[in-house]
This record gives sequence, C-alpha cells and structure tokens, in this order.
Amino acid sequence: MERNLSDGSNAFGLEPFPRMGERAVVLRAEGLTKRYAAVARSNSTKGAGASVPAELELFSELDLTVHAGEMVAIVGESGAGKSSLLHLLAALDRPSGGEVWYGEERLSGMSERQASEFRNRRVGYVWQFHYLLPEFTAVENVAMPLLARGMGRKAALEQGCLWLERVGLAGREEHRSGELSGGEQQRVSLARALVTEPEVLLADEPTGDLDGRTAEAVFGLIQKLHLNHGLTSVLVTHNLEFAERCDRMLRLREGKLIDTRAS
Amino acid sequence: MRFELFIAIRYLRAKRRQAVVGVITAISVIGVAAGVASLIIALAITNGMRRDLQERLVGSTAHVELMRVAGDGIRDWRPLLARLRKTPHVTAAAPGLYGQVLISRGARSGGGLIKGVIPGDERTVGDLLQGVSVGSADGLEPVVSETIQRSKHEAAGAVTARKGRSAAEEQQVSELGDLDVRQDPAVQAEADAQAARVLAAVHPVPPIVIGKDLAETLGASVGDTLLVTSPQGDLTPMGLVPKYQRFRLEGIFKSGFYQYDSSYAFLRLADAQRLFNEPDLISVISFKVDDLYHADRVGKVLEEAAGKGFQTTNWMEQNRELFRALKLEQVVTFIVLALIVCVAALNILIALTMMVMEKTRDIAVLMSFGVTAAQVRRVFLFQGLLISVIGTVLGTIVGYGLSWAGGHYRFPLDAAVYSIDYLPFAPKVLDAVIVAAVSLGVSLVATLYPSGSAAKVLPAEALRYE
Ligand SMILES: Nc1ncnc2c1ncn2[C@@H]1O[C@H](COP(=O)(O)OP(=O)(O)OP(=O)(O)O)[C@@H](O)[C@H]1O
Ligand SMILES: [Mg+2]
Repeated sequence: MERNLSDGSNAFGLEPFPRMGERAVVLRAEGLTKRYAAVARSNSTKGAGASVPAELELFSELDLTVHAGEMVAIVGESGAGKSSLLHLLAALDRPSGGEVWYGEERLSGMSERQASEFRNRRVGYVWQFHYLLPEFTAVENVAMPLLARGMGRKAALEQGCLWLERVGLAGREEHRSGELSGGEQQRVSLARALVTEPEVLLADEPTGDLDGRTAEAVFGLIQKLHLNHGLTSVLVTHNLEFAERCDRMLRLREGKLIDTRAS
Repeated sequence: MRFELFIAIRYLRAKRRQAVVGVITAISVIGVAAGVASLIIALAITNGMRRDLQERLVGSTAHVELMRVAGDGIRDWRPLLARLRKTPHVTAAAPGLYGQVLISRGARSGGGLIKGVIPGDERTVGDLLQGVSVGSADGLEPVVSETIQRSKHEAAGAVTARKGRSAAEEQQVSELGDLDVRQDPAVQAEADAQAARVLAAVHPVPPIVIGKDLAETLGASVGDTLLVTSPQGDLTPMGLVPKYQRFRLEGIFKSGFYQYDSSYAFLRLADAQRLFNEPDLISVISFKVDDLYHADRVGKVLEEAAGKGFQTTNWMEQNRELFRALKLEQVVTFIVLALIVCVAALNILIALTMMVMEKTRDIAVLMSFGVTAAQVRRVFLFQGLLISVIGTVLGTIVGYGLSWAGGHYRFPLDAAVYSIDYLPFAPKVLDAVIVAAVSLGVSLVATLYPSGSAAKVLPAEALRYE
C-alpha cells in the first residue's frame, strides 16, 4: 500500500485516482511532538535547582496521513502550531518526538545533506509572504531551486519561463520582486515551489497577505496546478471558505488534529 | 560552484537595502588595494635600495680575496697570480698589500688602511680608484707599466711637465716600458725594482690616494703632503723606531661607503712594500668572478689551487651583517604593512557579517528549497574572496604602476643624506605573488566566521519572526 510514487507518475497525473482508502499514502506523520523551551537557550544558565525547565508543548503524539492526490487544509487559531507542523513536514525543522514518513523514507533518518536534497526534490514550500530574493529577476527566482541542484543556467531558465507562464506571468520574466504586485509575487513563489516538480506542495497561508479577489485568484491557481500536476497538497489557511473547498479540512486545536467533517 | 558564484556576484553588485553594507564593502576593496599596493611599493623600494647598495658594494670590493692563513704574506706571488688568473669563472685578479698606518697632516691625524696596488690590475677588481672625484689616481701608475700608459705620458707632455719630470727621465721611463713585462714574472720583478729606484730619484715624494672622509678628517686637499707612519718600524740600536714617510696627496676618492671612504689609502705597490719593509711581498690577491652569487664556490676552488696555507673570504662573508640587517628591515617592513591588509580583512569581516545579518531571511529561503549549508557557506566565502581578489588585483596594478613610474621618473633624493640621488624601485614578481597570497590568505581567514554563521542559519527559526 505504501508505494513510493515516482516524480514522473505524479507530475503527469498518470496515476488513476482510486477511492480514498486504496490510494497510496504519500505523507504520514506518526506520534509527532514539538516542544519549545519557553525561554530559548536558557537551560544551560540555570542551576540544578530549576529541575523542570518551563516548556511550551505545541502538540504531542500527533498523527496525520495524506494520500496521493489529496488536498488537505489545516486550520486553527493563531499560535496553535500550524506553521510549526508544516516546518516539520518540510524537513525545515526537527521534531521533539515522532516521525514523518514520505513513502518509505523517514525524515529523521536523513542527514543534513539528504534533507537538503529532499527539500529540493520532493516538496515545494510556499509561505504567507512571497520571500522572493530581491536581487534576482522573477525568472531567476523561479529557476533558483534548479540552479541550486546544478542544472545548467539555460535549461533552468527555460523551466523558469515555462512555470511563470503556468502561473499566468508570461512576459514578466525580467521583473524584480519590487516591480510585481502582491498577488504576482505570490504566483512567482508558487512557480518556484513547483518548478522542481515535487510530489508534495506545502503552503503556509499562501493567501494570507492578499486581498479577497487576489486571494481567490491565487487559491484558484493552486487548485488548478494541484489537479493538473497530480500534486498532493497540505495547505494552512485562515480562510474557512478555501478550506471547505479542499478534500479534507483538519483543525489543529490543543495539540490535536481533528477532522472537522468527520465530527 | 557556479551557483554559489552566481549568487555571490549578484549580492555584491546589488544595491543594498542597508547602504552602510555597500559602503563597508567598498572600503574593504579599497583597503585591500591600498594594503597590497603599499606592500608592493615598499618591497620594490627596499629591493631597489638593497640592489643598489649591493651593486655599489660589490663593485667597490673584490668578490674573493685570497690570503695566507698565517698572515705572513705571499712571497713569490707573480707565478701564483698568473696561475690563478686562469681559474675558471675568475674574470680578474690583482695583487695587494694591506697595512695599518697612521696618516697625519700637521697636527691632525687618522688611522688608515694602506693598500698597495698596481692600478691597472686594481681597477679590474674594484671601483674605488674609479671613484676619484678630486685630483686623479694617475700618479699611482707604476713607472713601468703598459704601453698605453707610456704613450699617454708621451702624448701628454704637459701633464708630465706639471709632475716635474725632465725629458731625460721620460726617456728612461719609455725604455723601461719597452720590456714586455707581462710575459715573464721574473723580468717584471726585476723591472719593478728598477722602476722603484728610478722613481725614488724622479719622484722623491711618492703619491697617495685617500678616501673622502679620511681627507676631511685630515683637512687635506690634493697636493698636500701627508705623513704616513707605519708601526712596522726599523730595528735600530735604540730599539724599534716607527718608520715614517712623506706622501703627496694626488687624489681623493668617494665610494659612498663610510667604511672605505674613512680609512682606505692607496699607494703604489712598490711604495707600500718599501714602507712596510717587505720587499716583493703582497698580502692578498683579489679576484672578480663571473657570477657573484657563486663567489664562495670559486673561493673554495682558488683555495685549493693555491695550495696549503691559503684561505679565502668573499664579499658575502665580509658583508654578512649588512645584508642580514637589510633582510631584517625588509621583513619588518613587510609585517608592518601587512597590518594594513589585516585591517582591510577586518573590513571584509564586518561587511560580510552585516551582509549575513541582512540576508538571514534569504538564506533561510534558499535553504528551504534545498540549498545546502555548504553551498550557503561558499556563497559568502566567495563574496569575501571576490572583495579580496578585486582589491588585490587593483592593488597589484596600482603598486606595480607606481613602482614603474617611480623607477621611470626618478624620484629625487638628497644624495648627501641617502648616498644615492634617486629612489630606486625594483619590483619583483615573486614579491607580488607573495603579497597577493598573503592578502588572499588573510581575507580567507576573515571570511571564515561570517560564512560559517551563514551556514548555521536555521530556516524555521529565521523565517518565524517575519
Ligand atoms: N523557537 C520558538 N521558541 C519558542 N516558542 C516558539 C518558537 N517557535 C514558535 N513558538 C511558539 O509556538 C507557537 C506556535 O507557533 P506557530 O507559528 O506554529 O503558530 P501558527 O499556528 O502558525 O500561528 P499563526 O496562525 O499566527 O501563523 C507560538 O505560540 C509561538 O510563539
Ligand atoms: Mg503560522
């Protein structure tokens, strides 16, 4: 059942989508725990007297299973730990306990290098803010993950142009982030997340910074790309309307993920 | 690598959000350039100074000197000289007789080192006689000498008249000159002895040439009579009486080396032998060799060729202290000026540290799509190296350019103070290579900390507070 989908079958959406239960599990979190020391890096300065350092536990023993082709929305109050969860799923941070699986691969078993490689090939990440690199043009920003893995400049920029076109920004290749509107910047960052043809898209409030209409357009684009490229997506959003339009909506509250429609 | 360089170059060229980072970057480049340029110029000058000093020193003195270990002087020196002259790598050889004397003029006196010479030979091994600036060294010519000398006397009747020679004497001189003395040492010895006798009659006061500083000490000028007192006196019934003799000051030389100008005095070899009561004896044979850096090796060969009881010294041994001091001076100059490069490197450290702080978020973004920590480290390493390379190249060009210009448009110096009348520049390629290597090395060290801290950025942390 836990078949590791190859990039190719995913990207071209050749995989037939059977009923939920039979689909391959792409992403699985087991017993995931994240704790922060309340006062960062203060443990060492405390004496032996302070035996129990104050800790902030965001969630513990959290389980999550995402199947191929699914689009999952995660909602929750501010500070619930949604971003932290997404960081763990993207191997941007290490959990205090538990495990994240991508197919048969364990994130915690990866070295720093392997984690970088994983981020470069297996997932695309989009933030609330676009985080484009201001010194580079739109197409260079999009092509950056390909350049980073050593792809030739020409080929990488070609891919970048292609993806700019896919997010509706043909002709804006040479513009810098300062010359683009908020919605356009977010489209560029979406193109950058997907240029590597990952199997999983992780997006942390991708429309959070945008006004209603622009947000709608960007969300629509994500949905379209999700379908066209056979992606498996996990979206954090505050917009319940968008969340409703996803395959599943999970609420993170008091360290638990609750499937809102199951209840 | 290409990726890292791509990012690094773009970061360097881009307009800064914080203008101060750009300013510090520019200052770093200028600082490195200034340090490198001043290092190259300073080394070019110290090289030039040393080369100049060495040239003059080596010109003034013999490359190799051969003498008796026992210091008893070389008897029967003519065959030896003739034989050693043919040694490979030897280009010239000249006999000389050294002796310590007291030279006085009226109430003034000074110690001097007499060197009895045959000027024709002496000129081939040392420049001191060429350096006669007041009067002339012609008077030192032995009465019997080469044909050239004779014809000179004949041609310049006026000169000889001034020296008070009669036509009859002149006749005698030319007769003696007809002997081909170079062919047979025995004949030459005979001729020299005869010449000395003639000379004593012709020239009751023999000539002397002394150094400029010695002349000043004595207050002597050309034409004065000097009293030379030798400690190797005559044994008389009343004990050892110092021997003294009058000499006429014919010329004053100036070499620029106090050591020589303050104590050297040249006599004709025959006069010196008479003064020291050492008929037909010399104390050294001086040699010039074709490669002065192999003087020691040739010295060894000469020692062996001369046989038992001989030893040699060479110019390197004699001036070891001087050259060691010059080397030390160069090293100190290098270290002092390398501090400028260190300050520039400190600028690089500051510029990069600020850059890393400014770019923390971008670094996190780069890492989020798979740029490795090692790649991030290299991005900032390359930035530091780029600054350093640009500065080093600029500095090398400026330093070389100014050194070249300085050598071309001679920078005048006060000759009385520095003993040369212009600032010598001798830029060496090896120096430039060393300077560039030091500059790049120091900058690389300065880059380690900022690039290391860039590699330590944790993406999740860095993007949280935005
Ligand atoms: N490094 C850290 N050290 C201590 N506490 C942290 C750290 N990172 C996050 N937190 C805390 O963890 C909690 C969850 O943060 P997180 O950003 O995951 O929330 P969120 O659900 O994404 O909120 P929002 O909807 O506002 O983005 C917050 O209270 C935050 O202060
Ligand atoms: Mg968040």
